[in-house]
Amino acid sequence: MHVIDNCKQRLKVSVPAPLIDMNGDTLNVAVMVKLEPDLSEGNVSYNPDGTLNRSQTKNILGPHSAIACRAGMYAKVCYDAWVAVCSMGPPTAEIALRDAMGICCADELHLYSDRIFAGADTLATAETIKHGIMRMGRRIDLVFSGHRAVDGETGQTGPQTAWKLGFNFIGNVVDYSVDVSRRMVRARRRVDLPGLYTVLEDVECPLPALIALDPGYRDNYRRVSERLMYARLEKEARRRVADYKNHLKVWSAKDLGVDLRYVGLAGSPTIVYKVEKIPKAKASRRARVVGSSSVEELREVGNLILNIALGEK
Amino acid sequence: MDVFDAVIVGGGSAGLAALMELSKLGIQAVLLESGKPVGSKNVTGGILYSKSYPDGKVYNVEDIYPDFADAPVERRITRYYLNALSGSKVYTIDLTEAHNYRTNFAYSVLMARLNRWFAERAGEEAAKVGGGIVDGVHVRDIVWMDDGARGSRSSIIVTDELEEFGARAIIAADGVNSEVALISGARSKFKPEALYQGVKCIVRLPEDVIDERFDVDGDEGVAHLFAGDISRGHNGGGFLYTNRDTLSVGLVYHLDSLLKSPIEPYQLLNEFLTIPVITNSIVDEVPVPREVDRNLPREEQLRIRFGLSRLLKQYEELRYTYYSKRARLNAIRQGLYSSEEEIKARLDDVRSRLEKEYGVQFTNDYVELEYACKLVPDGKRAMMDKPYRHNILFIGDAAGKGIFVGTRIEGINIGIDDAARAARAVARAKEMNNFSEDYMGRYYAHLVEESPYTDDIRRIDFEYMKIFVKASRNIPTEPFPLFLRLAFMLIQKTTVQELAAKIARMMDQSTLLKIIESNDAYVRIPMEVAERIGIEVKPVAAIRPLSIDERVARMRIREDEVPHIRIRDARSRFIKAMVHLCPTKCYMMEVVGEGAGRGEGVRAKEEGKEGEKGVKAVVSSVILQHEGCIECGTCSLETEWRHTRGEKGVVYEYG
Ligand SMILES: Cc1cc2nc3c(=O)[nH]c(=O)nc-3n(C[C@H](O)[C@H](O)[C@H](O)COP(=O)(O)OP(=O)(O)OC[C@H]3O[C@@H](n4cnc5c(N)ncnc54)[C@H](O)[C@@H]3O)c2cc1C
Ligand code: SF4
Repeated sequence: MHVIDNCKQRLKVSVPAPLIDMNGDTLNVAVMVKLEPDLSEGNVSYNPDGTLNRSQTKNILGPHSAIACRAGMYAKVCYDAWVAVCSMGPPTAEIALRDAMGICCADELHLYSDRIFAGADTLATAETIKHGIMRMGRRIDLVFSGHRAVDGETGQTGPQTAWKLGFNFIGNVVDYSVDVSRRMVRARRRVDLPGLYTVLEDVECPLPALIALDPGYRDNYRRVSERLMYARLEKEARRRVADYKNHLKVWSAKDLGVDLRYVGLAGSPTIVYKVEKIPKAKASRRARVVGSSSVEELREVGNLILNIALGEK
Repeated sequence: MDVFDAVIVGGGSAGLAALMELSKLGIQAVLLESGKPVGSKNVTGGILYSKSYPDGKVYNVEDIYPDFADAPVERRITRYYLNALSGSKVYTIDLTEAHNYRTNFAYSVLMARLNRWFAERAGEEAAKVGGGIVDGVHVRDIVWMDDGARGSRSSIIVTDELEEFGARAIIAADGVNSEVALISGARSKFKPEALYQGVKCIVRLPEDVIDERFDVDGDEGVAHLFAGDISRGHNGGGFLYTNRDTLSVGLVYHLDSLLKSPIEPYQLLNEFLTIPVITNSIVDEVPVPREVDRNLPREEQLRIRFGLSRLLKQYEELRYTYYSKRARLNAIRQGLYSSEEEIKARLDDVRSRLEKEYGVQFTNDYVELEYACKLVPDGKRAMMDKPYRHNILFIGDAAGKGIFVGTRIEGINIGIDDAARAARAVARAKEMNNFSEDYMGRYYAHLVEESPYTDDIRRIDFEYMKIFVKASRNIPTEPFPLFLRLAFMLIQKTTVQELAAKIARMMDQSTLLKIIESNDAYVRIPMEVAERIGIEVKPVAAIRPLSIDERVARMRIREDEVPHIRIRDARSRFIKAMVHLCPTKCYMMEVVGEGAGRGEGVRAKEEGKEGEKGVKAVVSSVILQHEGCIECGTCSLETEWRHTRGEKGVVYEYG
């Protein structure tokens, strides 16, 4: 097992003291989520040039964000954590927060919404979220983020936020547990080594930490008491969703007290120079639709399979 | 490790009632059910009774669930008939009075749906005291530890899905194929003579059509039982119950009778469905799409298929809305339509488009929604003498409960009564912190002994018989064996009724049962009665029952890659019978004769020359494909049998 406890020193970041430390012993968790276009069938709309028509496409809580919420729920079930979900986005992003609440039974929802934030790249987003997390009114011990978004390469947001907060970072996590009394988190990460085996690596680090979940994350409730708690919280989550607005706080740039040089377009060093579509490869396989009621055609399929099985083709 | 005061294994109607009662008594209890969601493994006929006895209290469903009035039951059964059948002839006896005997009310129910409602209520109640329901978990083993001075043994529950946890008391509500009974050694498996095999299907029919066809109004329903020419001579009978917008149609047979000359349950069901009175009850007008012209371009073919399936769906929705008073009013109230006429106009429009644009024809057939099969314990032969072991109390089917005598079919209500008693025994044990066999188990047995059902299971109720005989007074008694004829006459004469009752009470139960459950009573007499005084019923249409392959293809079975059944002896008579008796054809015969004898043997068998000089007999053995198993339990006796792991296996929607 590796022990990660050196990022702080290495990165030399000064960590601002948390604004309020209300509760010393409960685990306080923040989940960062993102509103994303629903790319499932029937919900997507495209422009004539083939790019995504964002105004026509339905928006939902991104699937990777949903995984982060599941990890948040796990903390709630197993460690009785206090959980807040936050997102930076337009006012409509409250839909994502509401859906997130349904998954992790969040205690609070925080939306960072201000025109100034528009055009933010991942670094500027991380700056905003850092300020949000620092102003949640509690010392945050653990932050969860998704692996990435479906509509852009945003995989850096998690690590960048960790860096800005001065938290330890663990990525590609498929399973985790917290030792609350020792203030340590233990995680299993999935490491894909191109051309080699996929490795599952167990690591441990002290809190506070930010965990980015791998798409393969599975919440695994192995105890009866956890299952019972889960069922109870699931029900409670449904109740909360019904009046999510009462749990929602919307923050402007001013509320957050951000330095305007570091957020939004101004704080985004990334320049998208050009977007190039990678030409689609021509399909090399031929496909034929076979009716299920034609004996002849089915026989043909059968013969083909047989040939393959017999190694003749 | 988590430790709970009470753990209930099995979330059927009995287990759920136990959870509700324990929770009401303030006991923290956890119910484990291998199906997900709760209800998905439960099957009944079924009619749920609420009863009252002059000589003692039974715990009824409405005692357990105070808001039972809101439960999703189907129809209140207000008329009850027994039909004697022979070919197309039917003679119907009105048994409503017998049905009403000691009955507060009776509802037709769909077990999977009702159990989901029970689970919601019981789960809520349990949560108040820190308990609840954990579904998708299969209990695999129980380990006992000695627990101090009183000889009380607490236990560790081992499941396929969760970490081990502790239980002070266990309520085994895991049904007829109880694994807990075997793990604990409380009893051996039920023998075939103590079991029935029940097979049924749910048939869809619009609510208004049911009302009209069975002459009932929206909330009321009827029950029909059938005897005679329906079983290829096996001992058993058929049933047809009206639900709100479905019918439950099926058969229940003595398993030993089926084992004597095995026959496929689905075959029997199909023969039953095609008897004219049944066909006439289930037939409906169904759309039959035309084959899509294969010469059309493929895109066009696809377009037609999609268009057609969308329109067919619309048609079905409209039809079931229009032909249901409730749905009609609802749809109008919700503003989906402005009036009944509008729904009708839309329905007619969709129908004519189906005919004109897609060449759909409308013919008579029936719509089968679900096929199911399950064993039923015959209480009078299966009831456990000692329904407890260590810290376990057995309830419902797991304890072998049920009143199944002639036209009385009761299991659900009895399991619920057991549940309430078991909960009380656990509560008392908790108070004294003594969950031992002696303290808790014996007290539970005592409570069960006090239940009027227990006596009712053991002894045939003469009062009920009297009502039955009175209802059948018009049937000719000539076909009866002499003894039965005499009994019939005696019981009908009020002057000697008391004498007859005395004789009946004196008679040994098994002698009486031999008469009531004889092949004469199940088959010959009803047939002769129907022949003599029955009326001829002409089928209004021909239907095409589904084949077993079609049925299995429609079932939801979540495949468990780990086999849960293992054959002990692939050549035993019993296992060979399973090739016929397994309701989903999981067993197959394989010829394994050696060498040259093999082909010869097969031929010899075909030509009936087996055993002739120089001809080898066929050696065959049986193989099992567990993937299609619906956990009915029929093959359990001679296999190493378990339920599937949590969440796996069959998922019933109606039950
Ligand atoms: C065709 C037919 C017709 C019937 N007609 C009627 C009727 O009209 N009226 C009437 O009152 N009764 C009728 N009965 C009987 C009635 O349905 C049963 O008595 C009743 O449903 C039994 O309930 P139960 O809770 O005891 O068992 P079940 O409903 O069998 O429940 C047992 C549960 O335990 C679970 N389980 C089993 N093993 C495990 C394990 N190891 N771990 C976790 N979970 C486990 C199963 O998944 C199942 O859900 C009929 C039965 C049949 C089959
Ligand atoms: S294999 Fe399954 S479905 Fe077939 S008889 Fe056995 S228990 Fe029933």
